[in-house]
Amino acid sequence: MSKDATYEVPIGPIHPALKEPFMVKFKLDGETIVDADPHPGMNHRGIEFMGMHRNPLKVIPLAERICGICSIVHQHMYTTAVEHAAGIEPTNRARYIRTIMCELERIHSHVLWAGVAAHEIGFDTHLHFTWKIREKVMDLLEEISGNRVNYSMWTVGGVRRDIPKKMYRRDFSPKMYPKIQNTLEYYEKLYGKLEDIFLGDPSIRLRTKNIGILTEKEALELCGVGPTVRASGVKKDVRIDQPYAAYGDLELDYVIPSRYGYENTGDVFSKTLVRLKEILQSIDLIRQCVQKMPDEDIDSEPKKAALLNKLKKADGEGIGRIEAPRGEALHYVRLKEGHEELDNWKVRASTYNNLATYAPMFLGEQIADIPIIAACIDPCIGCMDRAEIVDINTGEQTSYDHEELHEMSVRKTREILGDKL
Amino acid sequence: MPTSTIFTLIKQLVTKKATNPFPVKYTPKNMHAAADLIEKGELEINPPIDIPSDFRGKLVYDKECCIGCKLCTRVCPSEALIFDAEKRKVKHYVARCTFCGQCVNICPKSCFEFSDEFLIAGIDKYSDELVYEP
Amino acid sequence: MNLEELIISLFYVLIIPFIGIFLGLLYKGFDRKITAMMQSRIGPPWRQPFRDIRKLFMKETIIPDGAVPWLFNAAPVIALIAPLIALAYLPIGPLGPIMEGFGDLILILYLLAIPAVAMAVGGLSSGSPYATVGAQRELVLMMSYEFPLAIAAVTIAWRFETFSLGVISSTPVWWLVGPVGTLGLILVALALFTVLPGELSRVPFDQAEAETELAEGLFVEYSGRNLGLFYLAEAVKMVVVGTLMIALFFPQNLTNWVTIGGPEIFGIIIGDLVGNVAFFLLKLLAVIFVSVSVVRVAVARFQIDKASYFYWVPMTLIGLLGTLLVWIEGVIL
Repeated sequence: MSKDATYEVPIGPIHPALKEPFMVKFKLDGETIVDADPHPGMNHRGIEFMGMHRNPLKVIPLAERICGICSIVHQHMYTTAVEHAAGIEPTNRARYIRTIMCELERIHSHVLWAGVAAHEIGFDTHLHFTWKIREKVMDLLEEISGNRVNYSMWTVGGVRRDIPKKMYRRDFSPKMYPKIQNTLEYYEKLYGKLEDIFLGDPSIRLRTKNIGILTEKEALELCGVGPTVRASGVKKDVRIDQPYAAYGDLELDYVIPSRYGYENTGDVFSKTLVRLKEILQSIDLIRQCVQKMPDEDIDSEPKKAALLNKLKKADGEGIGRIEAPRGEALHYVRLKEGHEELDNWKVRASTYNNLATYAPMFLGEQIADIPIIAACIDPCIGCMDRAEIVDINTGEQTSYDHEELHEMSVRKTREILGDKL
Repeated sequence: MPTSTIFTLIKQLVTKKATNPFPVKYTPKNMHAAADLIEKGELEINPPIDIPSDFRGKLVYDKECCIGCKLCTRVCPSEALIFDAEKRKVKHYVARCTFCGQCVNICPKSCFEFSDEFLIAGIDKYSDELVYEP
Repeated sequence: MNLEELIISLFYVLIIPFIGIFLGLLYKGFDRKITAMMQSRIGPPWRQPFRDIRKLFMKETIIPDGAVPWLFNAAPVIALIAPLIALAYLPIGPLGPIMEGFGDLILILYLLAIPAVAMAVGGLSSGSPYATVGAQRELVLMMSYEFPLAIAAVTIAWRFETFSLGVISSTPVWWLVGPVGTLGLILVALALFTVLPGELSRVPFDQAEAETELAEGLFVEYSGRNLGLFYLAEAVKMVVVGTLMIALFFPQNLTNWVTIGGPEIFGIIIGDLVGNVAFFLLKLLAVIFVSVSVVRVAVARFQIDKASYFYWVPMTLIGLLGTLLVWIEGVIL
């Protein structure tokens, strides 16, 4: 027998620990992980290519179908990118409604994540509990938008459905229209219980404390985003760094564990903590929005036929950035004059950045920790898989490393710019 | 020991369950026979839960008011609306519809409307119920 | 043994396996329903395990290419037979152990180890890396929970000065000890209660078949009839372990307090028999409810090293402390 007693276990492409097709090849020594090698590319659906054959309004429902949970995120990024490219400004009320919806989705996403995390460590009771309380925010989202998922709320220039005044109340008097307030109060009431479970339960602490540690240095080096790196103490939040929608008017602060008297360890426990605290933050932000929301039109371009023509004439590039529940994400859109279709559309979701943080988190941990560490960045492979390289004739997949990609991009730039260089 | 958790769990033995019950308690051997029984009133099914206001159900298309401007076909993301050049009306394929409602917004004559109907699943996507011919 | 006794014994031996399987599936259904209700779900109907078994036995049995076929097929059979045999040596409610005199507590402890070993062998022979990891975990876990289990068994046997279950179950052990010994026995019973989920591979000790980690681990390559046999083995094991717990700590019959009476056939009072059997089933229900259902919903799955540590250090220490207390009372006081 050789001295090297390691063996390889592939987790994925289809595995109960992963909710979407994705593969990580693990090299194990007994129960300990000595090497982890992520292999994405199993869930590429060619959405960007489809988008480039449709006009900007047709792409909105397509963009939200990039992901089921962050459908608002993708709608928002896409529409802001198109607005940016065409020079359209959404109305202020639309900005506030967008903010409210984004924050409602953050509550939804984080509660859902907590349930998934509980399931990954074999605690199905709390999976059922969190998914039960998640129904309340989904009901509210359905009440506002008409759909439980894939809300179809956004349009270029604003939003398509107003939040009727009967749903919120500004003066906090109990007689008036309580829909949104009720939901927020429901979550505030249950928040203590959530914290008891996920931060207090000894068997959960046993599985999350000091597991999957990402140090602040590694988080910065690997360009992680969202709660994944905020748990390590990195102050990174697009809502504050570069406010979009109505966040500029609202008061909010970075959610990092040290703000609440915990250490910025970057383990699964602090990632859970950050996500739970963000639920509270979202509740607070929605309250602020409801109070500050101006009364005006919800759409700056109500004539959609005219808008289509305007977008056809538009020429330029646009970027939409957002702090998604999983971290910063970005859409890039290029419009060309005379073309009804998008000239270019590029999506970069938060999981793409966070995937790199897998390597330091997995090393030295046990097989038992694979599911929870895989889940702790809240991976969304559907959002992330934007490219894969397949030889059509042989069906063989290849991957490029950093140097090769750099070389290729330099070559492409030379090709495009050519004589200008 | 997580004693409060256990207490809550034991309490949940008797409290109302969070799941909505399936329409029938056990899956019937023969769906069509079961459907016939329900029509006759011999088999009771659990009622579906209430739908919210402003629900996006099956699309209702008023062909009388349609002027054939083709705007709806320009924004329909899934090509559920196909323009019929002879009749100058649109044909609606319900199976393809994503309920995004862009046609509702763009129609200059407001010929489209969301209804409350949501039990629209079928076996054949080209059956008469799932294709609206003008 | 005369001919009549032999016939009765044979009858019992032939009937007991079916009763064991029936009870096992019934309690599995109970466990699933109760668990679902505690998680605020409606849950499957009580007869779901019977349907599962029927379906599994109708399905195709696939033997993977990398497997060792005879070992792969033999493992589930062995895993089922061992707990069925153990059932014959256990006192079931009012009936004493049928094979009394041919085997005792020690034999049962060994018979209980066989299914775990068979599962590990089946997993290793299936040639899948997941199953290999699962088999390793199963063996590690088995080595861990055997210690508290043995301590509990030895404590009781020491107090009775015999390993015979017929004797042990004839008198509740609590009557033989004073206050200090009672405390000791409570500690030993606690240690044994924690062994139950491990023995039955339930959360928090289901590392060997952890769904999210190993995709059912040991059973990942099993299908059809083989999987059905494992399913039955698990169900029967639940009854065996529950019955063992009852025989060691709660052997009281209903007739100890109340007599129902009724007609008498072959010297057995029917009313009392029915009452005792019902009481036994209730006790089994209570044991399974406390040690399997409640624990299963209230705790997360441990990592294998922490599970091992849990059995080796705290539970072994608690068990030993209990034994010490019982010993102190028996010898010194």
